[in-house]
Amino acid sequence: MTAAADSFARLLKDAAATQERAQSTLRALREIGDVEVGLSDRTCVYAEDKIQLYRYAALARSAKLPPLLICYAMVNRPYMLDLQPDRSLIRELLFSGIDVYLLDWGYPDGADRFTSLEEYICGYLGRCVEFILEQNAADGVNMLGVCQGGTMSLCYAALQPQNIANLITMVSPVDFRTPENLLSKWAQHIDVDALTQSGNVSGEFLNLVYLALMPFRLTQQKYVNLLQMHGDPEQLKNFMRMEKWIFDSPDQPARAFREFIQWFYQDNRLIRGELTLDGTQVLLKNIKCPVLNIYAANDHLVPPSASIPLGAHVGCEDYEALQVDVGHIGMYVSGKARKVVPAAITRWLLKRNLA
Amino acid sequence: MTDPNPAHPQGPAFLKVWDDYVAASQSLFERLSGGSSATVGGLGAPMPPAFLGPWKDFAASLGMPPDLGVGVGGQFKPEQLFASFLPGLGYSREYQEICRRMLELTTQFRRRYAEFAQQSADIGKSALHAVQQRGASDDTLRASPAAIYDAWIDSAEAAYAQAAHTEPFARLLADLCNILSAFKVERGKLLEALARQLDWPSRAEIDSLHRQVRSLTTAAAKAAAATQPAAARKAAAAKPAAAKAKSRKASKRGVK
Repeated sequence: MTAAADSFARLLKDAAATQERAQSTLRALREIGDVEVGLSDRTCVYAEDKIQLYRYAALARSAKLPPLLICYAMVNRPYMLDLQPDRSLIRELLFSGIDVYLLDWGYPDGADRFTSLEEYICGYLGRCVEFILEQNAADGVNMLGVCQGGTMSLCYAALQPQNIANLITMVSPVDFRTPENLLSKWAQHIDVDALTQSGNVSGEFLNLVYLALMPFRLTQQKYVNLLQMHGDPEQLKNFMRMEKWIFDSPDQPARAFREFIQWFYQDNRLIRGELTLDGTQVLLKNIKCPVLNIYAANDHLVPPSASIPLGAHVGCEDYEALQVDVGHIGMYVSGKARKVVPAAITRWLLKRNLA
Repeated sequence: MTDPNPAHPQGPAFLKVWDDYVAASQSLFERLSGGSSATVGGLGAPMPPAFLGPWKDFAASLGMPPDLGVGVGGQFKPEQLFASFLPGLGYSREYQEICRRMLELTTQFRRRYAEFAQQSADIGKSALHAVQQRGASDDTLRASPAAIYDAWIDSAEAAYAQAAHTEPFARLLADLCNILSAFKVERGKLLEALARQLDWPSRAEIDSLHRQVRSLTTAAAKAAAATQPAAARKAAAAKPAAAKAKSRKASKRGVK
């Protein structure tokens, strides 16, 4: 047999194997049905309009730390932090004896189109913090702000520093105008007034923008790889949970979204100290509590350059940064992050509690 | 009485126009039926411009292009059709304006989207070129379709990222988004009017109600804060939350 014929025969064999794998994956996909997410036991302890504050049931003896409030982004659903039992940041924190609360912004609708960013940060978030403080008779909460929720947490912590014991930001943008930030580049010329004039910004629109950041990987390669999963039901369920989360983007309340894009992405007011909420200037230097800033090295949504500058602007002496070698979504669910992040948070909090 | 002579060189002007109309119609029918003659009734006379001329002049005075949007090379250009229209007139003026604006926006979007498609094609070409270059120096690519595919994705993302980070690309995307936003605003105006005609609640009415409810809620919260002690306030807020939590657990178990 010639080398060319050999090579051709190998290609044919490969093609046949690929086809077989794809068929078995498609068969398995038809069978797995719907997937469940966010399974940890929790109770809604406070609700107001669309927002709900959940408290998770303890899974271990209390570490005697101040309660931890997780403030997630408004642009995605927070169940990503509790996607499935073996991929759950919240579960890991609970196993460390941390008392975990989660602020769920819900699915805003037409009734929320005039709700301001100030109302979300100083109002809803502020009242959740006050509720937790009162329920636990605590002096301050530990706050974990994730992605956009981290930016909102920074604003709150700068305005109400006395309510925050320790602040952790995770994949949170602070400097919105760095050269690597593609979202920011695209946002500069968007007429956000016009975009929000006819109502809330749809989740579908946001999904389209996210896909456009890496269109070939996110709309093609991902599904080609899916077909190569050998029909393993567990792997497929993991994939489907992620798929569900990725496209489960709530509509964004028009006014708050407009303000977020204009004030943060276009004017970069937070890092420039030019943001005013509730009549008060939001100054990062007012944040005196210990800060842990966790960012992802390969983040295509919030590049490290958007998160790293936080250290130079907060007013605390106890500042620590942790780079994890993952992407934005990998920070929540990847095996690498699961090994590093929950343990790092717990260790960091315990150390501050003893100090 | 009418003169039997169809030429009517000295007859009333409207009869002359009528004759021209008949002649033009005949010519048109001939053309439509496949005849190549540009003559009137096959009599050898040239098609008179007298009838169509005034209409063309009139249409031009309204801002209509003489070629109805057919530009160089016969390519239809809708923007030429309405670019220089007069403003809306008469009873339906407002709606004409909205429709005109929507047409303009559609055209703008079409033009910018063509540029976007061109950019996408350029990115594809550039990625393909990169894969070919890699294939020339990397034997493993030739042996495996999967490796070629991965190389294609890598190259495509690299080429895309290079373009996507540029200012023109950002402006192009923003233009597409801004045009769509403007279109939605105009469409909203039409729907608003339709809702009014049908006596349906319109978006503006609902917005107004939302604003009223919000200001009432704020006022009520302020009044409650002024009269209630803090602990009672928190307890009141927690009550509906507890009820919601209960219903959530019930629905998880499939209980209605």
